Amino acid sequence: MKMRKKPRAVLGVVAVAAAVALSLSGCRGDSGGQGGGSASSPGITDSAITLGITTPLSGATAGPGKCTVAGVSAYFGAVNAAGGVKFGDGKTRTVNIKSYDDAYDPQKSLANFQQMVSDNVFAATAGLGTPTNRAFRDAAISQKVPQVLVMTGDPLFSDRKQSPWQLGFVPIYQNEGAAFGKLLAKSGAQHKVAILSQNDDYGKGYVAGFKDAIKGASNISVVGEQTYEATDTSVDAQLTQLASSGADVFFNAMSITPLTIAALQKAQQIGWKPSWFLPSNTSSPTAILEPGGGSAYPGIYSVSFAKAPQSPEFAKDPDVVKFLDELKKYGNYPDMPAFPHCMWSYMVGATLEQAFKNMKEPTRDSFMTALRDIKDLKAPLMLEGTSVNTTVDGQPAVSSVVVQKYNGKGYATAQNFG
Amino acid sequence: MDTASATARRRRVRLALAALVAVLLVVAPLILPAFANQTLVRIGVYAVAVLGLNIVMGYTGQVNLGQIFFVGLGAYVTAYGVNHGWNILLVFVAACAIAGVVGLLVALAAARLGGLAIAMVTIALPIVGVPLAKRLSEFTGGSQGISARFTDAPDWSGLANDQWQFYIVLVVTAGAFLLARSLVRGKYGRAFAAVRENEAVAASMGISPYRTKVLAFTIASIFGGASGFLYLAAVQYTSPETLSFGHSISLLAAMVIGGAGSIAGSLLGGAYYVFVPQLTNAIDPNLTTVSQGAILLAVLFLLPGGLVSLPRAVRRLTRRAAPRRSTAQTAPGTSPQTAPAHRPVPDAAPEGHEQTERQDGP
Amino acid sequence: MGTFIQLVVDGLATGSIYAALALAIVLVNQATGLINFAQGGMAVLSAYIAYVFVQLGLPLILAILFAVVLSFAFGALVERFLVRRFERGDPDTAVVVTIGLLTLVTGICAVLWGYNNLSFPSLFPLTSVEILGAVVSVRSLATAVTIVVIMVLLQLLFLRTKLGLALRAVADNPSSAAFSGLPVGRLLMVGWGLAATLGAIAGVLVAPQLTLTPGMLDTALVYALAAVILGGLNSPIGCVVAASAIGVLENLVAVYIPLIGHDLKIAVPFVLIFVILIIRPQGLFGRKVVVRV
Repeated sequence: MKMRKKPRAVLGVVAVAAAVALSLSGCRGDSGGQGGGSASSPGITDSAITLGITTPLSGATAGPGKCTVAGVSAYFGAVNAAGGVKFGDGKTRTVNIKSYDDAYDPQKSLANFQQMVSDNVFAATAGLGTPTNRAFRDAAISQKVPQVLVMTGDPLFSDRKQSPWQLGFVPIYQNEGAAFGKLLAKSGAQHKVAILSQNDDYGKGYVAGFKDAIKGASNISVVGEQTYEATDTSVDAQLTQLASSGADVFFNAMSITPLTIAALQKAQQIGWKPSWFLPSNTSSPTAILEPGGGSAYPGIYSVSFAKAPQSPEFAKDPDVVKFLDELKKYGNYPDMPAFPHCMWSYMVGATLEQAFKNMKEPTRDSFMTALRDIKDLKAPLMLEGTSVNTTVDGQPAVSSVVVQKYNGKGYATAQNFG
Repeated sequence: MDTASATARRRRVRLALAALVAVLLVVAPLILPAFANQTLVRIGVYAVAVLGLNIVMGYTGQVNLGQIFFVGLGAYVTAYGVNHGWNILLVFVAACAIAGVVGLLVALAAARLGGLAIAMVTIALPIVGVPLAKRLSEFTGGSQGISARFTDAPDWSGLANDQWQFYIVLVVTAGAFLLARSLVRGKYGRAFAAVRENEAVAASMGISPYRTKVLAFTIASIFGGASGFLYLAAVQYTSPETLSFGHSISLLAAMVIGGAGSIAGSLLGGAYYVFVPQLTNAIDPNLTTVSQGAILLAVLFLLPGGLVSLPRAVRRLTRRAAPRRSTAQTAPGTSPQTAPAHRPVPDAAPEGHEQTERQDGP
Repeated sequence: MGTFIQLVVDGLATGSIYAALALAIVLVNQATGLINFAQGGMAVLSAYIAYVFVQLGLPLILAILFAVVLSFAFGALVERFLVRRFERGDPDTAVVVTIGLLTLVTGICAVLWGYNNLSFPSLFPLTSVEILGAVVSVRSLATAVTIVVIMVLLQLLFLRTKLGLALRAVADNPSSAAFSGLPVGRLLMVGWGLAATLGAIAGVLVAPQLTLTPGMLDTALVYALAAVILGGLNSPIGCVVAASAIGVLENLVAVYIPLIGHDLKIAVPFVLIFVILIIRPQGLFGRKVVVRV
């Protein structure tokens, strides 16, 4: 039997360990953000500031993930080309973006955060995903590194007491669900609602918000509720079940593009034609509604706070034209955005710029104070009726959404249901 | 040269080496920067997981694609215990014990059915584990996961957080590796190898393949649970993503890249698991998948026996570069030269593998 | 009753997606004795190649044909230059090589075509027909029929043709096969090439429904592996039956046993495997493996 000793294996391991240690060692300095002090924080010099984004750039969520980097890069690419941002302390600085792939794995996002701290990043921003952001939230708090304007609708990030160094960007999931619920309740007519939601905090948040909003409305009743997993191949079975409930409104909290298209196709095939509600990130007219045959339904509603570049009515909008141009030039994203996160992260850039303009000192403390003091900022690409407002504890940077209805080509604001 | 004194001298050299390594490990966190410590901590986490996988797969030859399930289970138990204020030692024991019991139950059922069933059952574990973790949200925090901080350095130690974490992980990892080493060198190790080579032969030698497989699998799951404890010590957060099936595949790859059937290889496997994503991020965060695939294939092409076979491969190259040297020069105790080119690494699977009951067919 | 039939029909449709990939895995296993984790990835690459041809203006059928031919070449080359080196060594190493191949191919697809969901045209119209009171889309029906045809062809290949016999001989015992005068290397390449072709067909059949992304077949791969093991590693009929059973049973369990529901329904195929393997360790349709001591 091969049970002989392997002193050479040990030697090999020691050699590897020594090499590793040598390559990783530097003097054990004070790397690690002891931010917020009186001298300037790490990651900011007189001429530049460095931001870090840890987000999925590979795997199933890489589509939206790439958008989160592209939008911010596009915004600051243009700003840098025009000379940089004039900070509140008088200095003009360029904004550098470092991005890291975490493949939607919490362990990797923590590793990326630790790398960011070691790479002297001023703040983490715009990352996509609840578990990935939660993984390093504690570390960010204990090392006083800002983790701001993150792409998750998890309310924890906007709670100032629990998350003093965090701030969410997109509306919490509950808000989006509630917006549609309010519209429906206000309609006055009797409606039976079927619900299909993704089995995680995203879907649960949507449904919770929706149910909260229709509580007490005697004209609305939920007659069927099903869930699906993000990795499912098909939701046919759930649709069959829900169709048999006889509902005339279908509240759908799906974030997976092919499943949404398949659901739109299947429901009309089995002869069920309710009015639909789709969440903001799976409501694109060109990518989802047209392949799915959305015009077959009496109404498709969604919520949004960003102008959709694919919609014909915004094709000539100057904001949109500038955005698409910068996306191609500085964001390394030549196609039409397939996910709203491209627009959202562009707005993150605008919000950050506003905070930079107002921060009086080059410190993380000053940055957080400035960031939390933005009221009624009409970031580019924002729809009428929405704005950035970071002053409310418990609410993310964007909390207002507009309910829209599909009109065969794009979306138009819906005042009433039906 | 007389072999007795050569053996004694080699033993002294080995002890000296071990002492040197021990000193290095104790002193290292005090001089290395924080990020290096944090990286080494994470390497320790996955090295223990790969070690467990190696015991059941590398040494005993049973396909195990569910090791990450036990890591996740250990992490969840740890989080639960910490958040309920249990004593930290109790938490560690619970993480290992609960993972071990589950592993034992699974093995008892699956081991009777042969390699195929074990493979399928182990695939099922993480795949069913993820929705189960979401469902049992009172224990697991559901899909939002659960945070648990317990590795902040206490004030009396004067250490930074990352250094304290390093020592915790060092203690557990060193313990796990020493335990595994003594295990595979003893009679159990021989039983594992016998079962891997040919179960019928092992049975005829008086080794029960069933019991050996159950033992190997239980040990693997205990190590998985310990790795889960370390995971929570390092990351301080766990969620259903921790035990997704894709990570099991990555652990398998890490085991083979490090060196299947090798204790030192498990450490290298853990290092591979942690380093490669960081390395590919440094190359270009947009090209991580391509880089990782390319690196994996490159390593296996150059070193089919895994990274642990690097010294051997180098020796073979240098020996080939100087063919005039007489064979008497080969020092006693060196590994016998592997003759046919297609024979795999000596202490990995032997040839004739097609004859054992494995997951592949005829 | 209507719901029941609808669920069964939908389950068969989903099952045919798994079956498509499972057939390719069985083929590689029969021809080279390896489990190819990269089968799904290679199928996706083939679908992308067909997409490129369609974008260039070719009619869909021609694009698919070209992609299928190129896939054969790709599969053969992969066997010759990548996998050959590991075929006779440790099987675990060979499996990890296929894992590496999967990662690399997925990464290449991502670099070339991005992660966005691309719309792949369907060979069949998007209408639906009614069968026994259940509505089934023509596309799903046609996919299932195609899979069954391929399954029959594959079964015939292995059991009735010289090529099939040669492929199996080479996989079973390469040295004896070589002594019998079989061109071992070339047969191995043919085996992988054929499997890649199968994968290509599977890819273009399911791409319209799943939308084309680099990770399109990742979930299906796990189900395909389950189907392969359940149905027997060496039986095309077995894996198709198993895949269909998995699809149908999942739907039925999810709807009629609410305790399990749609989130835990994924446990069904594995429990099934477990039960079947207790009764028949070689799988539903597999052949018993004889171990020589």
